[in-house]
Amino acid sequence: MAAPLELSCWGGGWGLPSVHSDSLVVMAYAKFSGAPLKVNVIDNNWRGSRGDVPVLTTEDNTISQPAKILNFLRKQKYNADYELSAKQGADTLAYIALLEEKLLPAVLHTFWVESDNYFTVTKPWFASRMPFPLSLILPGRMSKGALNRILLTRGEPPFYHLREVEAQIYRDAKECLNLLSNRLGTSQFFFGDMPSTLDAYVFGFLAPLYKVRFPKVQLQEHLKQLSNLCRFCDDILNSYFRVSLGDLHVQKVKPRGPATTSVKFTVASSLYERLLALCQHLSPPHFPSALQYRSLFATRQ
Amino acid sequence: MSLVAEALVSQIAGTAEPWPENATLYQQLKGEQILLSDNAASLAVQAFLQMCNLPIKVVCRANAEYMSPSGKVPFIHVGNQVVSELGPIVQFVKAKGHSLSDGLDEVQKAEMKAYMELVNNMLLTAELYLQWCDDATVGEITHARYGSPYPWPLNHILAYQKQWEVKRKMKAIGWGNKTLDQVLEDVDQCCQALSQRLGTQPYFFNKQPTELDALVFGHLYTILTTQMTNDELSEKVKNYSNLLAFCRRIEQHYFGKGSSSIRLS
Repeated sequence: MAAPLELSCWGGGWGLPSVHSDSLVVMAYAKFSGAPLKVNVIDNNWRGSRGDVPVLTTEDNTISQPAKILNFLRKQKYNADYELSAKQGADTLAYIALLEEKLLPAVLHTFWVESDNYFTVTKPWFASRMPFPLSLILPGRMSKGALNRILLTRGEPPFYHLREVEAQIYRDAKECLNLLSNRLGTSQFFFGDMPSTLDAYVFGFLAPLYKVRFPKVQLQEHLKQLSNLCRFCDDILNSYFRVSLGDLHVQKVKPRGPATTSVKFTVASSLYERLLALCQHLSPPHFPSALQYRSLFATRQ
Repeated sequence: MSLVAEALVSQIAGTAEPWPENATLYQQLKGEQILLSDNAASLAVQAFLQMCNLPIKVVCRANAEYMSPSGKVPFIHVGNQVVSELGPIVQFVKAKGHSLSDGLDEVQKAEMKAYMELVNNMLLTAELYLQWCDDATVGEITHARYGSPYPWPLNHILAYQKQWEVKRKMKAIGWGNKTLDQVLEDVDQCCQALSQRLGTQPYFFNKQPTELDALVFGHLYTILTTQMTNDELSEKVKNYSNLLAFCRRIEQHYFGKGSSSIRLS
């Protein structure tokens, strides 16, 4: 179709085009169905609301949730499920429900609730893509939203302690991963040789879990034992996202200690950078050196 | 259930204690109090136990929700065990040696679990939405029914409290901003998926019913036979003739009614 389609979503890292599950689902579906999407990665200059990400903008309207975006793309004749039978279409819906009920709480927990992971990886990554003062407020809000969702959907009696809820959701997630692995078996995609909506959803949920480096990794370890799911993610990354990997900005490490003070900052960014340095100073000691940050304001000299 | 509790239950249940004659299922009062979603859940458990050929007596109590260990109805009282909700009940029954899904292979078991999640995700959530977030239904039916066993002002307080809880949950899972039409469309999609999966077979996994059949029957039958302020929900289900036939078949086979109480408009 002639109308240009623009997708605004969170950016990538650790070899992924995006670290945000919903954004990744939409990007994968667009690749599978051949939709010409122009991807705008959110950075500090983005003016829209970050709560709705990913957002598809066309000439006439704006669409925000992954399910609605995929519906819209299908109506525009970009349909990755064209060759599926009716039963396979029904299976797609069922497996997506399984992912959302069983796997999503544990993924949310790993990214946003587990304190080691949240404070060392997730929060700094997202905060570096928001302008001050949003970077101080929004990650906390997203974390609270994730905890809320977990507790409201799974935290009912007889669980009275968060620890019991955590144990249950991780068990459910491991069972869900086993079920997916059984279902995938040795085939390349879930329904034969061509990727479909279900492949986009599974990829979107699994790839961040697989690739992002976390301190607390119990679900990741379980996933790595299921070699066919890992192979599935790697295949999709290599076949469909190889070109765009080259476009990812190489992100500079921001060193702590004396090296920081010798870098000259532009005046407008100095307050922001000093606050960021202060926050890093106060964060847990094992600040992983593998973490990559890009500070839009700092210029190294 | 926590890991320790679950291990204990399955160990106790598995000590070859046969299913007692006086097993009871507790739900809310059928005529005045019970709501659509709870009725569906209770019917699903009853259907499952019938399919396993296990006798169960249904007892109606106004405070069933508070007696239940997880706060949800229905729950069964077997020997000295109390287990609530279909998932744990299926596991409990399996530990006692009865299972409907033993004949399925791994892929089929995965499919069965996925479809059960689909029903819970879409149908159950839609029922809750209709009961608690649609103003017409809330005003005319839900508030009056939910608080009916209690005196004023407790009936209003409990109803508002429950409504607030359900609305919070809807907002957390992203259904807070949905309109009734969108919810009905989701129900239609779900029914279409179930209809396509069922096809022309008698049950979802061909010859033998499983817990998925019990769950689907519980929800669809309740939707078809409950009077709501508008009939749109049951109309959506009636569009799929194989689902109607499926419900009638299970009703006549397992609930022994000569003629079906499912009406066609």
